[in-house]
This record gives sequence, structure tokens and C-alpha cells, in this order.
Amino acid sequence: MINRNKKIILIILISFLLSLFYLCSNYYKVNPKAYITNQGDNTVSVVDLISLEVIKTIKVGIAPLGVTILNKKNLGFIGNVGTDDISVIDTRSDKIIKIIKLNTAPLSLTSSPDESKVYVTDWFKNNILVISVKEMKVIDSFKVGATPSGVVFNDKYNYLIVTNRDSNSVEVYNKQKKLIKKLPTGKHPFGVHTEGKYAYTANVYDDTVSVIDLESWSTKVIKVGAHPYNILTHNSYGFVTNTIDDSLSVIDLKKNQEIKRINTGETPENLDLHHKLNILVVTNWGSDSISVYDLKNLKLIKEIKTGAQSRSFGDFILE
Amino acid sequence: MKKFILTLSALIFSMSIFAHGPTPQKVQESVTVSVSPAKAWSAIKDFSSFKKIMKTRSFDDEIMKIKYEMLKKDGPFSDYNAYIIVKKGANDNESVIQWTARFYRTYKLNPPIPEGQDDATAVAAVKKIVTPGLANLKKALESK
Repeated sequence: MINRNKKIILIILISFLLSLFYLCSNYYKVNPKAYITNQGDNTVSVVDLISLEVIKTIKVGIAPLGVTILNKKNLGFIGNVGTDDISVIDTRSDKIIKIIKLNTAPLSLTSSPDESKVYVTDWFKNNILVISVKEMKVIDSFKVGATPSGVVFNDKYNYLIVTNRDSNSVEVYNKQKKLIKKLPTGKHPFGVHTEGKYAYTANVYDDTVSVIDLESWSTKVIKVGAHPYNILTHNSYGFVTNTIDDSLSVIDLKKNQEIKRINTGETPENLDLHHKLNILVVTNWGSDSISVYDLKNLKLIKEIKTGAQSRSFGDFILE
Repeated sequence: MKKFILTLSALIFSMSIFAHGPTPQKVQESVTVSVSPAKAWSAIKDFSSFKKIMKTRSFDDEIMKIKYEMLKKDGPFSDYNAYIIVKKGANDNESVIQWTARFYRTYKLNPPIPEGQDDATAVAAVKKIVTPGLANLKKALESK
């Protein structure tokens, strides 16, 4: 009898410890999420990419636009162009843990591959600001061409690539902040993307995408829909948001031509993808929402209402 | 002196509000009219004043939506693109006409922003098109 009781107590104790262990191991494990900047109501919508629901709305600075998510560090940097600062979000608690004052408008943001630095295009003074993630402050800046808009980091060559919206060009800088190359693009280049040996710019005014070879420096132009804003590549396909056509152009990167067009919400602006879930997320400025697509067949899975004027310029998905 | 301080504070105030880069502005208004969606849509298609100053971007009879770009360049706004959509109302003889415009202010460089070229001026000017536009449309539709 005593033995049996002991046995029961032991089983209860073991199951208790096991569940405790399970709870602890899952404490910091969060679902993949999308961070959507809503420029019209000064918030960020946090969208759970498993349940496809908005799970939280975070009040940030005025007119949030740019974003970059640091997956390894569990941080999200949000650029507020109305208050000239950056809201830093802890992506585990989805709370703001720091506000970095800039005194200039942060248009777009990107991070170094090791996530030690965040680079910000300074729209007012034509600089790139360098933020130390550890210190949470601006530690360096350097001059670039006029109206720096999009910025991305190419990890193959360690290049920082910047579009100059009003001078119709793209600039490539190395890690020593030296300008390696300045090349002409189509008219009004805004969004920029890079993968492998290529960089891509979305040229708003002439409805094209420029493809830049980062070794030979040759460029190609691909016709897309009306007023393209940003581009993303995946498995030799390119996806381009056509803001006026309410569509997404699908580009075959081997042939460098548009092969398909998919409907989006109103005024689609930016896009990002989740590799494991194999989904593509597009922000719709006009309909205050995001559209989630299955990358397998490019079918719409769900359109989710977010806040006013959703933009999310940058990498906005927590993998 | 008082006037100077007033002007200065107004200037600082306006700068702090509008001192940011190229932020697209949005005006979205809608009106409920007591006619069927099909009737409202056919009236919008015939809205003759459109044709002189607009370039139609797309036209969708199925979802009853027109997208256009404004070609007139004399307003205090730029890059104006808009759409008008007709949706079903509460019953068969009611529809909702929604007008959404996206545009920028005319001054696209760094602050200080010259008076009359800021975001607020651009929004006010577009509202002056949209609000009476919808009111007139309602009047015309319901008087028929």
C-alpha cells in the first residue's frame, strides 16, 4: 500500500516537472509575426502569421513608415518620420523598450547580417545613420547622394545599397563607407532589394524595375505595372507592388520579364515573406490591410484589416 | 513684437507638424444614396466633368470601381490618384459611394516648407473636390 502511494506521488511529481520544463522551454518561443506600420494612426499592428489575426496594436511615434526586424535579437526597429525617432520593440513582449532620437526623418531601415548595426536613410540631410544595436544609439553617419530612400545590405559582398529617389540613381557603398559605384536607374527609384549578385530597384515614375549586376555593373530594365513601389525576390521570381494598379507583378528573373499579375488590396506598397511558412505578405496603404499569399500557387489566403495607411517599408516579418 | 512672436510660434508649430519627408496623404469619404448600386454606378460612369481633367486608369464594371489620375496640375497637391467604388447599401435601393484619393503636397524637399505647399493645404484642397463632389452626386442621383 505504501509502495503504491509512493509510486503515485512519483508519477505526479514527474508529470509536474515535465510540464514545468515544457512551459519553460516555450516561454520565449513566439509565433512568426508581421509588424505593420500604420502611418495614418501612428501605430504598429502585430499580426500572428499562424492564426492570421492582429494580436496587438502598439502605439509608436508619429507617422511610422520604415521597419527592420532583427530575428536573432528579437527586436523590431520602427522609423517615425513625424517625430524623427525610432521606436524599438521587444518582439517577445511586443512592448517598446527604447526610443532613439534622431532629429531627422528616418525613411528606411535595414540591419547588418550579424544584427549588430541598423542603417537608416536620413531623408533631410542625405546621410546614412549607423545605429549600434547594443548601445541603442547613433554611433556613426556618412554622406550619400540626395534624397536617400530605400536601403538594403548585401551579405555576399558586404555592400550597402541606397536608392536616390530624385536623382534617378542607385549607390553602392562598401563597409568602409566608400562609394564603390553610382549607377543610373529608371525614374524615381524608391524600394530596393538585393539577393546574391543582384540588386533591384522599383522605379515609380516609369513603371519599371532596374536589375543591377553587382559584379559586372551591367543593368537591365523590366517593365512592370503602374507606379511600382518595392520588389522582393524568391526562388528566381521577383514580386513587385504596383501601387496604382492594385496588383503584384510576378517576374521571371531568368528571362527578366513579367509573367503574371495578381490582384492585391488598394495601393499595395511593400512586401515581405516567411520562408518556412512559404507565404508572401503585402501591405495595402489604400485599404488599411495586408494580403497574405501562398507562395506555392500565389493564391490569396487572407486579407487582414490592420490600421490606417499600412506601409511597412523594409523587412517586417519575424521568422 | 506680439505679432512677431505669434508668427514665429505659428511657424515652429507648423514645422514640427509637417517636418517630415514624402508622406502620401489620404482623403476618404463616402455618401449613402437611395438608389440601387447599378443606377449609382451608371451615373458615375457618365460623370462628364471627369473626362476633361482625369485620365482613367482602370474601369471595372463587375466590382463597380473606377480608378483615375488627375491631369490638372494647378491645385496645391501633386501625384493625385483616386478611385471611386459603389457598394451595396442596407437594402436593394440603397448604395454607398466611396471616394478615396492619394496625393502628396507640392513641396517635396526639406523644411522649412513654404506656406501653401504643405500637407494640410493639400488635404484641404482635395477635400474641397471630394466633399462637394459626393454631395452633388447624391443630389443628382436622388432627384432623378
